[in-house]
Amino acid sequence: MPAARGDGMRGLAVFISDIRNCKSKEAEIKRINKELANIRSKFKGDKTLDGYQKKKYVCKLLFIFLLGHDIDFGHMEAVNLLSSNKYTEKQIGYLFISVLVNTNSDLIRLIIQSIKNDLTSRNPVHVNLALQCIANIGSKDMAESFSTDIPRLLVSGETIDVVKQSAALCLLRLFRTHPEIIPSGEWTSRIIHLLNDQHMGVVTAASSLIEALVKRSPDEYKGCVSLAVSRLSRIVTSSYTDLQDYTYYFVPAPWLSVKLLRLLQNYPPPEDPGVRGRLNECLETILNKAQEPPKSKKVQHSNAKNAVLFEAISLIIHSDSEPNLLVRACNQLGQFLSHRETNLRYLALESMCLLATSEFSHEAVKKHQETVINALKTERDVSVRQRAVDLLYAMCDRSNAEEIVQEMLNYLETADYSIREEMVLKVAILAEKYATDYSWYVDVILNLIRIAGDHVSEEVWYRVIQIVVNREDVQGYAAKTVFEALQAPACHENMVKVGGYILGEFGNLIAGDSRSSPSVQFRLLHSKYHLCSVATRALLLSTYIKFVNLFPEIKTQIQDVFRQDSNIRSADAELQQRASEYLKLSVVASTDVLATVLEEMPPFPERDSSILAILKKKKPGRVVEPLDVPAGKEGAPAPTPPTISAPTAQQQNGQTDLLVDVLGDIYTASQSQSGSATTNVGSIGASLGGKTANSLTQNNLISAPILEPVDNLKKLVFKNNGVLFENDLLQIGVKAEYRVNLGRMTLFYGNKTAFPMLGFTPSIHCGSDLAPKLSVQVKPVDSTVEAGAQAQQLVNIECIEDFIEYPNLVVTFLYNNVQQKLNLKLPVTINKFFEASDMNGETFFARWKNLGGAQQETQRIFKATQPMDTSATGSKLSGFGMHLLKGIDPNPDNFVCAAILHTRSQQIGCLLRLEPNKQAQMYRLTIRASKESVSKQTSELLGDSF
Amino acid sequence: MIKAIMVFNNHGKPRLTSFYDYITEELQQQIIKETFHLVSKRDDNVCNFLEGGSLIGGSDYKLIYRHYATLYFVFCVDSSESELGILDLIQVFVETLDKCFENVCELDLIFHVDKVHYILNELVMGGMVLETNMNEIFTRIEEQNKLERQEAGISAAPARAVSAVKNMNISQQIKDIKLPDLPQAIKDLKF
Repeated sequence: MPAARGDGMRGLAVFISDIRNCKSKEAEIKRINKELANIRSKFKGDKTLDGYQKKKYVCKLLFIFLLGHDIDFGHMEAVNLLSSNKYTEKQIGYLFISVLVNTNSDLIRLIIQSIKNDLTSRNPVHVNLALQCIANIGSKDMAESFSTDIPRLLVSGETIDVVKQSAALCLLRLFRTHPEIIPSGEWTSRIIHLLNDQHMGVVTAASSLIEALVKRSPDEYKGCVSLAVSRLSRIVTSSYTDLQDYTYYFVPAPWLSVKLLRLLQNYPPPEDPGVRGRLNECLETILNKAQEPPKSKKVQHSNAKNAVLFEAISLIIHSDSEPNLLVRACNQLGQFLSHRETNLRYLALESMCLLATSEFSHEAVKKHQETVINALKTERDVSVRQRAVDLLYAMCDRSNAEEIVQEMLNYLETADYSIREEMVLKVAILAEKYATDYSWYVDVILNLIRIAGDHVSEEVWYRVIQIVVNREDVQGYAAKTVFEALQAPACHENMVKVGGYILGEFGNLIAGDSRSSPSVQFRLLHSKYHLCSVATRALLLSTYIKFVNLFPEIKTQIQDVFRQDSNIRSADAELQQRASEYLKLSVVASTDVLATVLEEMPPFPERDSSILAILKKKKPGRVVEPLDVPAGKEGAPAPTPPTISAPTAQQQNGQTDLLVDVLGDIYTASQSQSGSATTNVGSIGASLGGKTANSLTQNNLISAPILEPVDNLKKLVFKNNGVLFENDLLQIGVKAEYRVNLGRMTLFYGNKTAFPMLGFTPSIHCGSDLAPKLSVQVKPVDSTVEAGAQAQQLVNIECIEDFIEYPNLVVTFLYNNVQQKLNLKLPVTINKFFEASDMNGETFFARWKNLGGAQQETQRIFKATQPMDTSATGSKLSGFGMHLLKGIDPNPDNFVCAAILHTRSQQIGCLLRLEPNKQAQMYRLTIRASKESVSKQTSELLGDSF
Repeated sequence: MIKAIMVFNNHGKPRLTSFYDYITEELQQQIIKETFHLVSKRDDNVCNFLEGGSLIGGSDYKLIYRHYATLYFVFCVDSSESELGILDLIQVFVETLDKCFENVCELDLIFHVDKVHYILNELVMGGMVLETNMNEIFTRIEEQNKLERQEAGISAAPARAVSAVKNMNISQQIKDIKLPDLPQAIKDLKF
């Protein structure tokens, strides 16, 4: 008799056969309902059901569940089966519960009790059933109930292997739902030493557990590295007969090898030279074995062998420190790229993607470009083609960008719909990142719209417009190309949008040619008008009014269009408004006014491409950043790259016109000047207390942070030194000292880019209200800030009278031939001229009473915006410039402070009381000063900072 | 981690499912449908890996599957698992089933769903690979069967005699259904 068939339950077999013989879905449902009713009545009525019958009915319920029907009863009966003393009944009870009971069930307490009993059973088969059930349900309750039993089972010397193995995975499952379950300390080394266990099954299970623990606390489990390496070494060097049953189709313990190789990927290469050498030997052996003739023709043999090989390659790539191994790994993957097994081609493409990001192997990967392109064209499987796209994206750099982008465009014409959107984003990113010739970039994006218009998101076409607007040299070409593209009989709406915008701005550049004369341009655009959505029509109306300015000769034609009922009386409010306003404008305004209103758009502020962010959002963790130049990872141990020459110099010469790739610039800048850029720019921060230095250097290293401009004006109310502003180009730091009514401030302007900023003029001026109250004297700065350098500017300040406004700081400069302008405020506020004044309680309250006039007090009650932390609030108030008077308010929770404001002519006393109400999460702030405007302004400045 | 194991036939009828994260029954059924839809339209010679459907977590998860005659075996795993390793695991599972049932076919999975679960429980536990040594697994299953036989021997002897007689009909019925034989198909695939 076959091992598993055993004695079936007759009733069950009959029921299943009945179901299978049902001719229709309805009949099946009818039969199932009949059976459910039968079982329900049996469970309810017949108290004398024996174990066998219960087991049979529970089996039927399982079968019904598998067919996709809800089972809402029988759970209690299953729980009863758990306490049966018959193994088979217990087993089916556990099965039902594993499949059908969710973690929140009311029954979980009862189940846990049964499990507890079985865990202490002397029969290991029972213990295992209990462990399986815990691992399959893995609820929090269970984690709490078994937090001592299971770790004990795992490390106890008396536990037999089978149970130990299950206990390891059981613990892993509970650790995932409830990380506190694993106590640290003494357990750590005992768990690590499971890697030395004699039983391979135990080691396999334990390495899964250890990997999860390593991810939580890598330092604590560091000891596992050497154990894992020696275990791996024993497996790799063993012959296939040594491990007997754990040899799978002539490959010794493939699963365990894979697990160990994965585990090691959580750590940098071992520091101990002995361990490191041993590991490298293992990796070499694995690579060598790949070249040996197969010991079996069966696919299982090749799968098992290659599973280990791919994992070894992953580890080599992860360590990224042995150039020799990296190149061998790359060659091995290269062989797989043209292997007849589709699975291997798929995996090779995937692993190569990672390899392409290593500086040692980037060039080596590029050798396979033809093969990868070929895969894109010929693979029958979309999964494989997708990997080929990923790899092309990863291996792209300046030298091969044109070719790769062209191939991706070609493929896009026939690509599967499922991957088109992602491809469009990738093409757009590559084209922008590596464009040296912007007419090429424009061609690529217009082609994208032509080929896959539906998949071109707004960000992509916004971006092309931004770039065309900012780059004078490409505007004429863009206008010409988009004009030609619009002539296609059916062109995508996105093309109309781009065309409308570009012709509206730069149509005049091609109007000289009679084939694209103003009226031709207008008629061409207008021929698309009626097929477009409202948003596009609105855009076109704006184009038309711009035409009125650019080409007065077609004014009447355009006015006719505005006057059409479908526009001026459009049901859509936006269209109606635009049509009537534009019409009026074209009638009333003189040419001068028109020319001013409809002046060419100013350049867009520099910013990072938002496209990359979308791609990342779409595929979290899966986007491999294309390498810029074979960029070094600073800080990593860098043995000299062996064969790969980095054509850094000539690449940089070609990139003077880099407009958008701001981050790429930082990369190359910090490389070419051997890190000097980084240190210079970083030093602004360093001189200001070090905090920002880190963040700045990090920005240089991380491949593409999306850096939002930072404006720290508010923060600098409470401190004198810090970063005032930061964007992709420029960092402005402030360092200031104040004494009495005088202040001296140094501004640091750090150029974060690889190009000099020309005509650099920061100017500071006070508004008409402020000017009589605050005197500000500024030293001039050099008009050029070199790449990566910083300029300093000294500012002397005198407070003449209390004031409210901030002085303005306007920074203008030319970057990349584009005028940049930043409007900022200087962090100069009245509290900077505060002198903290100490006094005892008596004096304080006497003065407090003195300043009791309604004019002198400002009181506000507001909700806490920060956690109500006493020490944080206290230090904030001190930073604000007031003396925190301790122990004088009867309520110890309250803060009272005092300060004197110094101006040129007078000194103004200022007292503060802040009363927190922790229950309500509210504050009451009272400020009394001898001058009304001072108490008001002080209260204002403290604003919602608490 | 293995998130789910699904076995269904060429028509998408589930024969074995095991989800290692809690997922509502309704969603389980939708995931099975979605997965069947993804897997069944693929040719036999394409690769055995593809990105998960949107219901199961999209591209963070991979579906690794094998198609044997009338049945698809699909494992849904996260990025911490080796693709080829899981492919071999499926093979171990099927070979173990074959050994336990002596030439396994779809009908065995239908009529012995409990047994199939027990075998799977020896292979995968809480979403992690527990044991890969086929002999070891087989020994454990044998132990369980021994227990079963002992228990049946004590109490069910009379009932067994009756059912043995009646069972003859059923096996006749099963033979009438005639499904393609699985081991034959496995041989065709040339392992």
